[in-house]
Parts: sequence; C-alpha cells; structure tokens
Amino acid sequence: MRSDTLRRDERLDIVDELNRLMAEEAEACLRYFQLRYRLRGIDREAAEPFFANGLKETLEHAEAIANQIRALGHIPRLRIDLSLSGGPMRLQEALAEALDVEQQALDAYKDFLPRVVGHPVLEEFIRRQIDIETEHVQEIVDAVRAGSPLKLLDSSNQS
Amino acid sequence: METWKEFEANELTHSAAHHLLAIHEVGSKYGGWARVSDIARKLDITRGSVSINLRALKKRGWVMTDEHHMVALSPAGTKSVHVILAKRAVMKAFLVNVLGVPEPQAEIDSCKVEHLLSDESGHRLLQFMRFLGSDPSRKKLLTRFRTFDRECPDNRVCDVCQGRCLMDELDRAI
Repeated sequence: MRSDTLRRDERLDIVDELNRLMAEEAEACLRYFQLRYRLRGIDREAAEPFFANGLKETLEHAEAIANQIRALGHIPRLRIDLSLSGGPMRLQEALAEALDVEQQALDAYKDFLPRVVGHPVLEEFIRRQIDIETEHVQEIVDAVRAGSPLKLLDSSNQS
Repeated sequence: METWKEFEANELTHSAAHHLLAIHEVGSKYGGWARVSDIARKLDITRGSVSINLRALKKRGWVMTDEHHMVALSPAGTKSVHVILAKRAVMKAFLVNVLGVPEPQAEIDSCKVEHLLSDESGHRLLQFMRFLGSDPSRKKLLTRFRTFDRECPDNRVCDVCQGRCLMDELDRAI
C-alpha cells in the first residue's frame, strides 16, 4: 500500500487524519508556550525548562507530520480553535494539563495506527510517535506522582 | 452586577453548553458514554482541547469519566442539557411561529441564546405562545401581525421607540 497506489479517497482520509494529528501537536505547542508564563510558585524557575522542551518537541512533531502530508502530495491544513486563559497556575496543575494533552495525542496516534498498517513509511512514523509519546506521558505521570519537578527536570535535561 | 458582567459570569458558557450537548448526542448511541475523539469530531476541535475543557465540566459536576477515558453526563449535566434543549426549542418556536423569522436564521439565533436565556424569560415566552394559540381571536392577531407593514411613520415617532427610530438604527447595523 504505497502512497502512489492509495486510492484517492483513502489518501484523502489519511491526509485528513494527519491534519488532525498535526493540529493536536500544534495546539499542544501553544499550550506549552503559554503554560510557561502561567507558572507560579517556588517551582516555577526550575520547571520552566520542561515546558520549553515540550514546546520544542511538539513543534518538531507538528513539522514531522506536515512533512508526511507533503510526501503524500498534499499541503498541510492547520485548523485550530484556541483561546487560552491567562490565570496563574501551580506546577501540579500545569503538569496535569500537559498530561491531558499528551495522553490525547498518544491516544490519537494509537487510534490512527491501524489505518496505516501496511504502508511502511507512515506505519513506521506512527509507531515511532507512539513510542515517543508513551515515554513522554510516563515521564509526566512519574513527575506528578513524585509531587516534585526534580524528576521531570532530570528527564528534560537528558533529552 | 451590571448586565454585561452578569452575561460574562454566566456559569454555563457557550462552549460548555456545546460540550454538554455533544456528549449527549454522541453518547446517546452508546448508552450515554462518549469517546473524547468523537466529541472532538462533533465539535470540530482537537482532542486535547476537549480533554482540557472536560476538566472544568467535571469540576462543576456536569460530567463523569471512567477508567477507559469514556465520558458521560452526570445527572446534573443531563438536567442542564434538557434545560438548554428546551430553551432552544422555545426560542426557535417563538422566532419562527410568532415573529416569522426564517427557520435557518431562527436555528442560529436560538443556538446563540439557548444557554443565556433565564428560566423566567423562557417560561414567559412559552406562556406567551400558549396564550396566542389558545383562542381563535388571538390567532387572528398573529395573522394580522404577519401582514403588519413594517414601514415606520414619516415623522419617525412611535410608542415603541419613544423619540429615536430603532428601525433606522437596526437598518444601519445591517
């Protein structure tokens, strides 16, 4: 099932789904961007690099998806409807929000995987994304459980 | 509190109302439970956004989730949905049947105000429609209203506008 052998309607469906995944990542990027500035409390300075890293990673993921869309002969169509409130936030609260968003991105990749099985390039790409997101979700879960940004900062420094 | 601030402080926002309605609609096919992905598709927003918005709805006790991340309306959420749908139906019926607004426009306008209309105004609107329909002479009144010439008097003075022509101002807005 190579891209040039995909039926037109199949290819459009896959591109449509890739556009949705790209929107998830691009929106997550904006959330990380803004969460950084909402952080308050003694952990703020120490935790900021984690959110900066999240911003960078989600943007890279959005770009990687955009490249997959281009490889299928289409132009990425980014559609997001977002208004982010500006209230201050504690680290635990910000991490819970980041976890929600990352978990949804992971679920979205998992749901999409069966649609691209047999298409080597896309299948490998989606499997890799699932691995990365699974690891990322676990890091946040660990940090939330530990109740401290230290665990999270360790993982952020390693990447 | 000033009215516009009251409007802003309304605890059921337009977004929250649409999330509740989406959960109701999507969940109705699956015993009340809905997937975040289906809610996102229904609302044409990302799953991440739905998930974040659900946190607020959960905090208010309108929705519940299970261990598989499935979402359902709580009894309070179900009640809110029924109230919203009732107000939308009342408002739409008033716009179409009484005022003669075309149905597509009435659908849009009733959707905009469904969650903002007070219970009291909703009841009074319903009463008014029942009043109009309850007697042949009142039905005649409605028919007369439908053929009422909307042209304003030349001097632009009437009992409704009291000094300034609201029709002119509405036309200017259009």
